[in-house]
Amino acid sequence: MEAETMKLLAAGICMGLGALGPGIGIGILGLGAMQALGRNPEARGPIMTNMILAIAFAEAVAIYALVVAIVLIFVA
Amino acid sequence: MPKRGFLGLKRPFLGAVFLIIVALFGISFISGALGRSILGDLGLPSWLSVSRPDPHLPPEVVFRLFGFPITNTILASWLSILTLVAISFAVTRRMRLIPQKLQVIFESVLGWLLKLCQDVAGEENGRRFFPLVASIFLFVIINAWLSLLPGFGSIVLTGAEGEAVHLLRGANTDINLPLALALISFVFVEYWGIRSAGGLRYFSRFLNVSRFLRGLGKFFKGKLRDGISFLFNGVIDIFVGILEALSELVRIVSFTFRLFGNMTGGEILILIMLFLVPWVLAVPFYGLELLLGFVQALIFGGLTLVFATIAVAAHRREEA
Repeated sequence: MEAETMKLLAAGICMGLGALGPGIGIGILGLGAMQALGRNPEARGPIMTNMILAIAFAEAVAIYALVVAIVLIFVA
Repeated sequence: MPKRGFLGLKRPFLGAVFLIIVALFGISFISGALGRSILGDLGLPSWLSVSRPDPHLPPEVVFRLFGFPITNTILASWLSILTLVAISFAVTRRMRLIPQKLQVIFESVLGWLLKLCQDVAGEENGRRFFPLVASIFLFVIINAWLSLLPGFGSIVLTGAEGEAVHLLRGANTDINLPLALALISFVFVEYWGIRSAGGLRYFSRFLNVSRFLRGLGKFFKGKLRDGISFLFNGVIDIFVGILEALSELVRIVSFTFRLFGNMTGGEILILIMLFLVPWVLAVPFYGLELLLGFVQALIFGGLTLVFATIAVAAHRREEA
């Protein structure tokens, strides 16, 4: 298999597998936030702020995978 | 008042708008890359199709100033600096106690940012962290939103090395700018930590050898059981301190790649959507880019604020 094919395959696998963990993580965060909102609708401000913060952390990992995939396709 | 159809518009008007959108989508689908690969070349005029995007991760040099290369992302960041300075100048030129129009908008934005800082960090610390957090937020969001305007990525010149180069490119897509902002926020967070702990005592958070040394002292004085437990916990403390130091440094890398990856990924996404179906498909992704620009600016500023709060409060934990 030639190098060009391998690079494209690697980019696809990298982004695909790299999006699994953060996707599940963000879903779990959403679950926690929804449950907390259901129990205490008045605490909406702090809950939403902390949820967005935690989602940004989880999403950053997916972005690392995206950067590696972009580098594989366009630079390497 | 009689009901006026959907969204306040008469139904035939809405129907016409919908038909126009569907027609545009159909034409661009046929002439774009998707249609061309499914239906083959139907001989449509070449100005209807978009050439394959060629994203170039490092920024391209537009010209050289005294031997210093000026890239298109530097030009874009100068443009956003000019925008911010112009807005501030226009707002503060004739400030009144009861604000009017533009001053209201700017005051409400700054008031919201100050409230965010004070909610997270407390009253006086929030006021202390506010200039840096607000500057980072405003700079990142103006960079991100300006890059959505027409002109960014469409004006093409011949660059310094002779190849075709875009005149302007979103400033956040150059990895140097997120790196610079991450370094600035790192330096400020450490500075505030050192200031609040009163000097080099701040570094006892990373070089946590006090319990270990106390354990050694007890061990050699003969209290073996106390000494062993202090030694054990002391080793764990040292390890935790090293991990904390590492996580401070890795924070720079994660800030950089979070902002850079989001912005570059968004730019490449819009380019590819424009390549596949030129006219209608990219509109929802423009909305996504607007939202992402705001969220990433909020994340960058908000995380700086959170880490500064942790650094300032850390030394108080030991004394309790």
